[in-house]
Amino acid sequence: MAKAKVKKDEPTAAEPASDVVMDEAPTSHQPEAADDGMSVDANENEDDIEEEEDEEEEEEEVQRVRLLPGSTPTAASFEFLNEGHTLGNALRYIIMKNPEVEFCAYAIPHPSENKMNVRIQTFEGTTAIEALQKGLRDLQELCDVVTDKFIDARERFVAASSS
Amino acid sequence: MPHKPPTKEELERRKTVGIHEETVTNVSANDFPMNYPGEDHSWDIEAFKRNFRVEFHQNDPFEASFSLVGCDASIANAFRRIMIADIPTLAVETVFINNNTSVIQDEVLAHRLGLIPFKGGREGLHKFLKWWRRPADESQINNSYYDFNTVLLRLDVRCEHNEDAAPGETDPTKLYKHAHVYARDIEFCPVGRQSRYFSGDDVIAPVHPDILIAKLRPGQEISLTMHMHKGVGSDHAKFSPVATASYRLMPVIQIERPILGADAEKFARCFPRGVIGLEPVTKEEASRKGSGYEGHEGELKAVVVDPMRDTVSRECLRHEEFKGKVKLGRRRDHFIFLVESTGQWESDAIFLEAVAHLKKRAQDLEKQVINMVR
Amino acid sequence: MSREEYQVPNTGSGNSPAIGGGSFNAGQRDFSGESGGGVIYYICGDCAVRVPLERDTPIRCQKCGARVLYKERTKRMVQFEAR
Repeated sequence: MAKAKVKKDEPTAAEPASDVVMDEAPTSHQPEAADDGMSVDANENEDDIEEEEDEEEEEEEVQRVRLLPGSTPTAASFEFLNEGHTLGNALRYIIMKNPEVEFCAYAIPHPSENKMNVRIQTFEGTTAIEALQKGLRDLQELCDVVTDKFIDARERFVAASSS
Repeated sequence: MPHKPPTKEELERRKTVGIHEETVTNVSANDFPMNYPGEDHSWDIEAFKRNFRVEFHQNDPFEASFSLVGCDASIANAFRRIMIADIPTLAVETVFINNNTSVIQDEVLAHRLGLIPFKGGREGLHKFLKWWRRPADESQINNSYYDFNTVLLRLDVRCEHNEDAAPGETDPTKLYKHAHVYARDIEFCPVGRQSRYFSGDDVIAPVHPDILIAKLRPGQEISLTMHMHKGVGSDHAKFSPVATASYRLMPVIQIERPILGADAEKFARCFPRGVIGLEPVTKEEASRKGSGYEGHEGELKAVVVDPMRDTVSRECLRHEEFKGKVKLGRRRDHFIFLVESTGQWESDAIFLEAVAHLKKRAQDLEKQVINMVR
Repeated sequence: MSREEYQVPNTGSGNSPAIGGGSFNAGQRDFSGESGGGVIYYICGDCAVRVPLERDTPIRCQKCGARVLYKERTKRMVQFEAR
């Protein structure tokens, strides 16, 4: 879809910044706020910009995890914003590996909205929130193991193929 | 009754997805706690470390193939999805057209330019360049382009008659000058510190210089400037660092009863070359009672040589002679990844970045959960 | 707005609604042919020659006499998102 803007003055080319305005965001594995900038329509965004500004004034992230109403300590539903099957399925798998968890499932209420719900029901030994936190920690450990093994395998392969 | 630990065959069976003529069985993962009484399948990082391994099959700069063995489909899929949609890449985002008298419409030309993949110095691309955010105040947009978030490119081509062409020449590339506009005609204009990171071999240039952008005739001209920004594939496919990233499960072929002689040759033809090999029956095998090889010493039998080359077309299930003799399946925890990069990232770097991205997401969410609880 | 009240747009009289926020540099010369003294070039339909025409001059190509003339592409810069 093409959007044409007729401008009288050519935008000044990228200038070197003597006083650099650095975003706090790192270049890789971006926080979700970056998505907003890319998908905003060129023309009709006057109102939206004001809303964005109010929420992200201090460049802090919007709260992306919410406890849904009707949750008890051992049976809770969480709502994640800007998450989908990528994290949902992986998180569900890891949380299900926890023997204290009786039930864990994730669902995406509507594909047009970027929301994901996770329901965790635990036995009496632990709370749902603890299970969720353990799941997130286990996921990070898993990523570390994958990275290490991948780098080792690559080195072995490169060494084997060059010799 | 005390629970017996599962036998090796039972473990194999649990890990295999059965592939039959018209159905697929045993698809879902079953290694959850309380699924098998008496067995503990809870998450144990040490057990995972022991069982998980990575094997490389190919590691060219822009095409890598490797196997992840011992992880679950949800994790492998998460990596695949992140590789396609969440790794930041640099691509043309805005096109400022000063003149376009070619037959290609402005918007079509802009669309084509956005899809051209570019390469550049690794450090500059991944560390120096930051994200560009549209400023809240629209009038300040021209002040938001800095050397660390925007890359400037230019394309200026004018087509003219070529006086030196031979009379009667029909080839437009010889009759006219600059009749074809290729990606190599795009000039990179470094600004500020960009020349430090993007110079020499690291210059920002199209991965494929021979991409045809437009065709011109004398008198037609294309003159435009482009801004490149960082983006992710979930926003627009031009930002995806991979042509595609895919995985398949490792095929399993089990020959239950012997397949000999002409049948063995036909069996080998049911699979891609190299999957099935023919070996002569040894004396020792022929002497084994009940093996089915009695009296067939010296004949060629079918042997599974390299199941990884198999495309699981199930051709062998269509023939009567092999009924009951072969079982097809796939290993549920063995993922053969194929990562084809478009040229900006290297394939193995893309996978590592995907894993790091998942870790960072989990980390950020952990903080958010603590916030939520507070 | 009824047909009679319609007024031909003037030079530099403001942004057209489609632009929504793009700044208009009114200092640039923009003769849309209203005030006499601006020569606009048109392209002949038959021989593709650039034909200069002023206001109220008969519409004909100087070279080949064709009466179908096309307007040239605008000199203004146009911006597109590469999507």
